Amino acid sequence: MPELMMQPDLSAVTASGGVRGAALARWQKSGWPGPRAEAWRYTSLARLSDVDLAPATSLAGGLTGPGALAAAGINAHVIRFENGVVDPAGMSGLPGTVSVATLDGDEPAMAQLADLAPAGHPVSDLSLAVMNGGIVMDVAGAVETPVMLMFEGDDAGASAHPAILVRLAPGASIQIAEWHQSAVGLAAPLIGYDIAAGARLEQVKVQAEGAATTHLAATGVALGEGASIAGFSLSTGGALARLETHVAMQGEGADCQLSAIYMGRGAQHQDITTYMDHAVANCTSNQIIRGVLDDSARGVYQGRVHVAPDAQKTDGQQMSRALLLSRKAEADAKPELEIYADDVVCAHGATVGELDATQLFYLTSRGIPFETARAMLIEAFLIDTIETIENELLAGLLRPVAEAWLAGKETL
Amino acid sequence: MTALLEIRDLHASVGDKPILKGIDLTINTGEVHAIMGPNGSGKSTMSYVLAGRDGYEVTGGDILMNGESLLEMEPDERARAGMFLAFQYPVELPGVGGMSFLRAAVNALRIEAGEEEIDQLGFVKIVREKAKLLGISDDMLKRAVNVGFSGGEKKRYEILQMALLEPTMAVLDETDSGLDVDALRIVSEGVNLLRDPGRAMLVITHYQRLLNHIVPDYVHILADGRIRKSGGKELALEVEESGYAGVDDAA
Repeated sequence: MPELMMQPDLSAVTASGGVRGAALARWQKSGWPGPRAEAWRYTSLARLSDVDLAPATSLAGGLTGPGALAAAGINAHVIRFENGVVDPAGMSGLPGTVSVATLDGDEPAMAQLADLAPAGHPVSDLSLAVMNGGIVMDVAGAVETPVMLMFEGDDAGASAHPAILVRLAPGASIQIAEWHQSAVGLAAPLIGYDIAAGARLEQVKVQAEGAATTHLAATGVALGEGASIAGFSLSTGGALARLETHVAMQGEGADCQLSAIYMGRGAQHQDITTYMDHAVANCTSNQIIRGVLDDSARGVYQGRVHVAPDAQKTDGQQMSRALLLSRKAEADAKPELEIYADDVVCAHGATVGELDATQLFYLTSRGIPFETARAMLIEAFLIDTIETIENELLAGLLRPVAEAWLAGKETL
Repeated sequence: MTALLEIRDLHASVGDKPILKGIDLTINTGEVHAIMGPNGSGKSTMSYVLAGRDGYEVTGGDILMNGESLLEMEPDERARAGMFLAFQYPVELPGVGGMSFLRAAVNALRIEAGEEEIDQLGFVKIVREKAKLLGISDDMLKRAVNVGFSGGEKKRYEILQMALLEPTMAVLDETDSGLDVDALRIVSEGVNLLRDPGRAMLVITHYQRLLNHIVPDYVHILADGRIRKSGGKELALEVEESGYAGVDDAA
């Protein structure tokens, strides 16, 4: 196996053929990306080389923690994963036209997830191969009640591999919140959202993993004709976190709003990586990324936009801004536009800056203590991004997480 | 009696460039002093040095407020001790809501004084009352601090902050700059309402016209980092007639 670092205990994996077997074979061939892999240039997984993790196989506790409160606050139906293992309790009593089934054994569904998953991403193969159960969720119509996918677990020796396929039928709509707050060694969620023609997904993701956790998320999205996603991620946790999302706009008139905030302090490493594939004409994608980095934290934003030759009238926008609160903090931004059509509007911008000394002086000259003034300006820097979330319910989930980070709290 | 503000042989530099070259000035409670001077004389530097802005380095002398040196105090500590600077160019704070900004400032004072933080409803009422006197609309209060404000609105908003914070020592840096006649009148009336036996003001201006509205007890002429001449309010008229060159020659 090339570039061998952490390996799951494959004896615990039951993949013997089919989609999972193929995924396992791919994983065994490619393994973790090495230091020369271009897509991982800014984010090294070398820290996984010394740890010995095994996928968890059983459930222990029940629904606890701040995520439960957050779910209750929006009256969400919760589907819980513990150390990556699905809690069957969440698979019944589902709202409206939602149905959930086990993913393992459903070859067509697993093949669909493999197609949606970010190509070449290690988690795309690994989590498909070693998932324990996994679910496929079908949404047949408009659903009022939000669904929260909750990822918990306190087994520091476990790697968590939840594999989830969410399918929205034509015209369906749903709000989904992903809440990742565990203390597992490696959290490697593989999630696919297949959004059919005219369907709409409103999605938020909270990444507030424990201080020692590595969070590697592989998310794939497919949008049919006139389909839309309004997604927003807030990444504050983990020792190292990479949230990678690939979006395939496959039907004309699809709309993808996918924004993110990352916040890091100490030696945290936060990575947001996105790939927008404008395969057909008349689609729009818009991304606002904000990062706040303190101490010696590092932030990475890689945003690739691909516009196919036939994808005329594409509108693709990216704006990333990082705020460095310390001289030792570092932010890297790598926007890439690959445009093969001639009638498109695409733009990207990336800035890295510090808090404005004049603004800080103005606030402190009014008697406001320095730390408070600083927090006010950081909040102001983030606020317009959170305000782009049309869904108030989902936006409300994010604000306390951001505020807790600003207040320097470890937990919510 | 201890002076409210006592500036003793103050020297200050910006970068390596000496700007203030030995200022002596004593201000007692209840007094309004004006500092006039040509461009580049050190007027704005003096206001920033008093407020404690980074990059304005005191290289000699002292500034005492109520007998205590301000030099080791941070800007927020000075403000809570009663210093207030009305900015020549008020700073825009996109994303910072006006009301939460005003409330944070008032609460910082109250916490320092060991008082309870002010409740939101009561605070809104107080702000509205004071804003009304300055012709500040509810809409302006709801916006982010100074964002989208006209020049005159920004200056009125400075005076509103002063009215809420009730400083003992208020420094007004070129409060008249960028104001038309009507705005000048509104701002001056706002300032005059805040004249109080328990408060002193230092009005920094290039032009005499502001001093027709805010009539000072004392006028000082600043040139090349030193106070060249001091006198009563009639000194401002002298400047109006003969310009700074004439005053400087006479000094």
